[in-house]
Amino acid sequence: MNYQPCSRWAALPHRAPFSRPGWRLWPGLIIACALVLLATAGLGSLILEASLPDLSELWRNRYLRTVVTFTLWQAFLSTAISLLVAVPLARILARQPVFPGRSVLLRLMELSLVLPSIVAVSGLVSVYGRQGWFTDLVNDWLGMSWNLYGINGIVLAHVFFNAPLATRILLQAIESAPAPQRRIAAQLGLGRWLYWRAVEWPAVKPVTPGLAALVFTLCFTSFAIVMTLGGGPAATTIEVAIYQSLRFEFDAGQAALLAMVQLVICGLLWWLAARHGLTSSLLPDRQVASHRSKAGSSVWARLGDGAILSVFVLFLTMPLIAILLRGLPGLDLTPALLDATQRSLAIALPAGLMSVIAALLILACAGTASRPVVIRLTNVAACLPLMIPPLVLGTGLFLLFRPSLGSSNEGLVMVTLINGMMALPFVLQMLSGPMGSLDSASRMQADQMGVLGWYRWRWLHWPRMRRPLALAMAYGTGLSLGDFGVIALFGSPGQPTLPVLLYQQLGSYRIDAAAGTGLWLVLLLLLLFSLFNRLGSPLFRAGLKNNTSRILPEPEHA
Amino acid sequence: MLIRAFTLLLLALASVSASAGKVPTLTIYTHPSFAAEWGPGPAVKEAFEKTCNCRINYVVLDSGGDILQRLRLEGESTQADLVLGLDTGTMETTRQTGLLASHKTDLSALNLPIDWQDSVFVPYDWGYFAFVYDTEQLPNPPESLEALIAAPDDLKIIIQDPRTSTPGLGLLLWMRHVYGDQAAEKWQQLKGKILTTTKSWSDGYFSLFMNGEAPMILSYSTSPAYHMAVDKTERYQAAEFREGHYLQVEVAALVQSSQQKELGQEFLDFMLSAGFQRHIPLKNVMYPATDLGSELPDVFEKLIHPSAPLYFDPKTVTDNRREWLNEWLDAMTR
Repeated sequence: MNYQPCSRWAALPHRAPFSRPGWRLWPGLIIACALVLLATAGLGSLILEASLPDLSELWRNRYLRTVVTFTLWQAFLSTAISLLVAVPLARILARQPVFPGRSVLLRLMELSLVLPSIVAVSGLVSVYGRQGWFTDLVNDWLGMSWNLYGINGIVLAHVFFNAPLATRILLQAIESAPAPQRRIAAQLGLGRWLYWRAVEWPAVKPVTPGLAALVFTLCFTSFAIVMTLGGGPAATTIEVAIYQSLRFEFDAGQAALLAMVQLVICGLLWWLAARHGLTSSLLPDRQVASHRSKAGSSVWARLGDGAILSVFVLFLTMPLIAILLRGLPGLDLTPALLDATQRSLAIALPAGLMSVIAALLILACAGTASRPVVIRLTNVAACLPLMIPPLVLGTGLFLLFRPSLGSSNEGLVMVTLINGMMALPFVLQMLSGPMGSLDSASRMQADQMGVLGWYRWRWLHWPRMRRPLALAMAYGTGLSLGDFGVIALFGSPGQPTLPVLLYQQLGSYRIDAAAGTGLWLVLLLLLLFSLFNRLGSPLFRAGLKNNTSRILPEPEHA
Repeated sequence: MLIRAFTLLLLALASVSASAGKVPTLTIYTHPSFAAEWGPGPAVKEAFEKTCNCRINYVVLDSGGDILQRLRLEGESTQADLVLGLDTGTMETTRQTGLLASHKTDLSALNLPIDWQDSVFVPYDWGYFAFVYDTEQLPNPPESLEALIAAPDDLKIIIQDPRTSTPGLGLLLWMRHVYGDQAAEKWQQLKGKILTTTKSWSDGYFSLFMNGEAPMILSYSTSPAYHMAVDKTERYQAAEFREGHYLQVEVAALVQSSQQKELGQEFLDFMLSAGFQRHIPLKNVMYPATDLGSELPDVFEKLIHPSAPLYFDPKTVTDNRREWLNEWLDAMTR
């Protein structure tokens, strides 16, 4: 690379590390390209292995038609309800910044998405199943007949998994609403509706399309939940059909075709979302002081908020309590469990870190790039891992790398890599808002003053990003910690990770021990989220470095 | 903890590379329930390594289907010397890959309900598919498949999906064996009794059956043995059906490209000795493939003893599976 003396930063006596514009563009671009390449290679090698079947098979086959329409319908319903639950909840949580147990509630909300499905379903079934107390209540007292199995159960489970995630992201958005707007709204004493129109909606609007696309894709590709709670083969998602064609029929062509159908449907959605969701960085965000809305302070308003919150808390915690009650008798901190914990962490922490770093670099690249093709590329790369079934990706990559792949250790590296990749879309959703919240005035000022590269990151972005980063890291790690699919694909060596241990215990009829392992996994995730949250909180830093002067006011994220 | 975890990983990496080349290693592809700490795997490894001056390395894949898939993906370059954990539903497809070698094991000690003559696959255990029921919820279970199908719709059962699970495929074959061309019709009648169809046995058994969601689940006739011997409860029993029960045999085979064929052959022979077989009944919760005599745990006497094993030739299964699956799908989604 040639040194460019004409660069306008070259004149500075001490140039900031990583301050060349290329540092913001290239790493992210390379990662994005690598992701797209990896996904294409995975899918492509499957297609090469066995040629694609006739496309017309898709609409001639009644079963495939049913599968596609059902997958769309349940994903649409689940997304709509998840968001309908999440929006008022996020508003209430933003309105009520202090109440006992708020932080615990936030931790629990972060948990549901990362729970391994077998553990979560066990909890849901104990509450909403045929023997569950909820069912008794509804059937005996309200005279209704509630049946968990079918579309009911699928939507319920998807709302349980996704509504808390959506609430969490929306809350983060509302809380990062520009302070001047909030201040003025508070001074004017706006009522709830006007406050929503003036402050909350503008804050929520830019993240909503991406969030809806994220939730939709999650529900669209959901597999074990749909099968277990769906009742029968009438409730089948495309993922099941892919699984069947790869594992049992060895029909790589059909698997690739179905994966492409999934890719096209979800991709279209993300494309639409990206077209409507790119306004987030236009909002000014100069915090002067924090003012809260008056809307949540009257007694009646607080009672109403409390009632809705209580219902949600019950919805969220009852299954978790069921998991606790079921797992407690079998929870035994055996060496096997602790070993599995270490092994899981050794995979999950690097995977989480990788996803966060990759997300930051991609966001930096998207923020710098002026060419639409680059922006589009980063958008695609960011959501691609969600849409390509892990089984397709894994099998494709296996085909690509054979015969060099195969030893268990390479397998573990692969697992870490794919896990990190799978977590990337979530991490990106968590970080894209805060990363874009730097207003253009500050940015230009920073440019003029030469606050660039590392310094710009350290003094402008880091204070805003610390909390979202901690949360993103927690999600990235948590998702990998509970993962069973990817690790099962590559074949673990004799020593299991926690989810593998759980399945081993089940395979050997150790139901109680498995329930204990499930509970341990939940506790570990909870611990992890609390820990990362502590690391990201200003209190923690203040405790460590009391003398650090605060350059910029902190944006308030929960 | 993190630093320890990393050190552990590094040590593991180092020990793997260091130990290679000293003693021959026999790499076995198998599934989790065999290699688990409580499965027969560790005990078998210990017993075999005492006699062979070698090491056993288990590569644990998700299920029998995955062993086959991995083998196909790797082809000639596979690291496996031996595959263990295929069953009568997957073995024919595996044979057709041409990646397996013939064995020289003497099969005369076998004690299976069917006659077994196969030049490639050596069975190591077997069992019947059966509906396991909760005696507290269902004191009088149906006594035949026909009675189950004719039962009122408030009797609920949990089954597994034949597209994704071995027992699920077992029930499909079971129905087909009993009802032949009428199977689709019978599935439609059974439909009302099916609470749900799960992806795998684990999902159904753990999340639903053990939570009391349904009184009956498709499982193995040997499942109650574990509950009786280890959990010390007689609450869960298998319902004996008059039509007979579908048989599953689990098998192992040598890999053609293996450099350790002699060692592998030694292992196959060892597989039919008491040193291997005694770990099967309570650790794999299946019937041993040879007669263990008095070593067979007493609880096995309390299990159901189906008179007629229902069984399709593996080739018939491979040839018809797709068609029968579609028939089932069609019947169930109508």
